[in-house]
Amino acid sequence: MKHTTRILAGIGVLALGSSLAACSADAGGDDSYSIVFLAASSQNGYNQAVYSGIKERAQKLSGELGIEIETKLQDGQFDANTQLSQLQNAGTTGQADGIIVVPHDGPSLGAAFPLGQDIPVATVLNPIGPDISEMEPQVEGVVSTVASPPAKGAKLQAESAVKYCEDIDPCKIGLLAGLLSSPLDIERVDAWKSVLGEHDNIQIVGTVEGGYDRDQSLKAVTNLLQGDKDINGIISSADQQTMGAQIALENAGIDPSSIFLTGSGGTTGAIEAVLAGTWTNDYINVPASMGEEALQQIINSLRDEEVQSVVDADELVGFGPIATKEDLEAHPEFTGEWNG
Amino acid sequence: MTKEAVDTSVTTVRARAKLSVKDIAIEYAVLILLGAVLIVLAILSPSFFTFANIVNILNQNASLVIIAAAGTFVIVSGNFDLSTGAIYSVAGVVSAWLAVTLGSVWIALLAAPVVGLGLGAFNGIIVTRLKVHSFLATLASSMIFTTTAVLITGGSLITVTTPGFTILGRSRIGGIFIAVFVLVLVVAIFWVVLSRSVFGRHVYAVGGNRNAAELSGIRVNRVLVYVMTLSGLAAGVAAAIGVSRISSGQPLAGAGLELSAIAAVILGGTSIYGGVGAVWRSVSGVFLIALIGNGFDLMNLNPQLKDMVTGFIILAAVGLAAAGRTRR
Repeated sequence: MKHTTRILAGIGVLALGSSLAACSADAGGDDSYSIVFLAASSQNGYNQAVYSGIKERAQKLSGELGIEIETKLQDGQFDANTQLSQLQNAGTTGQADGIIVVPHDGPSLGAAFPLGQDIPVATVLNPIGPDISEMEPQVEGVVSTVASPPAKGAKLQAESAVKYCEDIDPCKIGLLAGLLSSPLDIERVDAWKSVLGEHDNIQIVGTVEGGYDRDQSLKAVTNLLQGDKDINGIISSADQQTMGAQIALENAGIDPSSIFLTGSGGTTGAIEAVLAGTWTNDYINVPASMGEEALQQIINSLRDEEVQSVVDADELVGFGPIATKEDLEAHPEFTGEWNG
Repeated sequence: MTKEAVDTSVTTVRARAKLSVKDIAIEYAVLILLGAVLIVLAILSPSFFTFANIVNILNQNASLVIIAAAGTFVIVSGNFDLSTGAIYSVAGVVSAWLAVTLGSVWIALLAAPVVGLGLGAFNGIIVTRLKVHSFLATLASSMIFTTTAVLITGGSLITVTTPGFTILGRSRIGGIFIAVFVLVLVVAIFWVVLSRSVFGRHVYAVGGNRNAAELSGIRVNRVLVYVMTLSGLAAGVAAAIGVSRISSGQPLAGAGLELSAIAAVILGGTSIYGGVGAVWRSVSGVFLIALIGNGFDLMNLNPQLKDMVTGFIILAAVGLAAAGRTRR
């Protein structure tokens, strides 16, 4: 008897829990949405900028549509497993009506799909799924990808280097990669090499690893310059790396503005450097605008309106995306959406 | 002194005099490996043995050497400090914030060691008062410190444009970076303190046998507080150099630095169990790893192989040190 009572009590508790969960999920209803943002790391300027864009668009849409949009941030700690767990939890516990992710590791996150509940997911910066170059949603549940293929930007950077090298022979270029253990960075390096390799006057003097870190890039470029001081240009996959390269050049007595120097990211520091003529150009990225666009697609999906399966991040810039001093002078309102 | 003690002492001296080549190789494994790497790089890369490159290597590794030199005290005392990277981050962002807010270079740069000193003392107090093992205590404090750095910056970075702020990280005297002079000074002081002072002997005694040290009248807790404070101070000095070099305070700038420092200390031959070690060993450990990175960049070798080569060399050095301990 006692045993039966316990079983019945257990079933009662489960039933109560389920109804509460259902109520909680339904609490959103048609006039309020809860959007969870899974940052690759909350302690990171890029992710913070994406979140600021999400919050801004949420506030705007709340006013326009007369609905309440609540946003929550979760910290992925730059760890694939942590983010995978967060995605699975957000997708099954009813805490979210929609999810926006900046994947730390897009292919790994594919394992979370299909989610336990039918919740729209938008991914920013990188796609979710096995193919890091494919921007169309690859797994059931992802409704929109707000990004650009990694090789596209890298090719544009390399093409601008080719243009710079037109009248220089040999034109010595150093490559400052991010993390050579990352498929994204490997793809960028391959894209640089394939474009530069088509031109006989261009000589790649070295490929070094900057680790998305100013200090590590400073060390790597300093070492690179020991081997070849008469370098003509440096292509980097991140602005913070180019900042380190700039210091290394200055330490070596080379005026950074006298060579080809490019970065990627569109940080406020990079915009200032290009405007000052210290860098040749920068591949612009707009994380806040991307966050805004991701939220827009999620709300569209929740309201059964048209959803763009791919939002090309490069199109959001409005100019460039490789921005020179002239481009930036023509768009003085753009000062960069983040600092990193 | 009894006759027996005299005999033992004489035997030890004779034994030392009879060290075989193999014993010397084991004892000085890190120096031999360092020498071998130096010779190989000098042969393979004409750019390696140049004044500019040597100065660069010293400058690039100044922060890590300073942290590792202080880390020797911590490990010799039988402890760990896993918070040095986090202290480096907090001290760096505080320094950058002060530079931007007050516009005073010297206050900003001096603030970093002061912050390091304070946080190191905090570590020392929680290790001794709460009687928490330093491994766990500093793991916990590193989380607190990192979050503090993130809160100060809001997760972004603080770019410093204050004139003169780069003096410590980028300026030179006679072609040598000021950071290198700081490095030499700090290492010399730490070396003398650990190997020649009473405090240094106390550190060895505490790490060798804590109970025996206590019974012989050494104030163990005081020694441990000093050791952890020293480690924090060193992380602060390193942060001042780092933040001045890149002229920006970054909340995760020190991420992984603590493990690199511990790896260098142990690679140098300092015992992970405490009681044995030397500052010169840790300095050699840092430069052994640094030279491999430098060589890869100079010779334009595949950077993806760098970690593998570093791993093999670490295994070789640690294996030799372990062989030495087994023989003893």
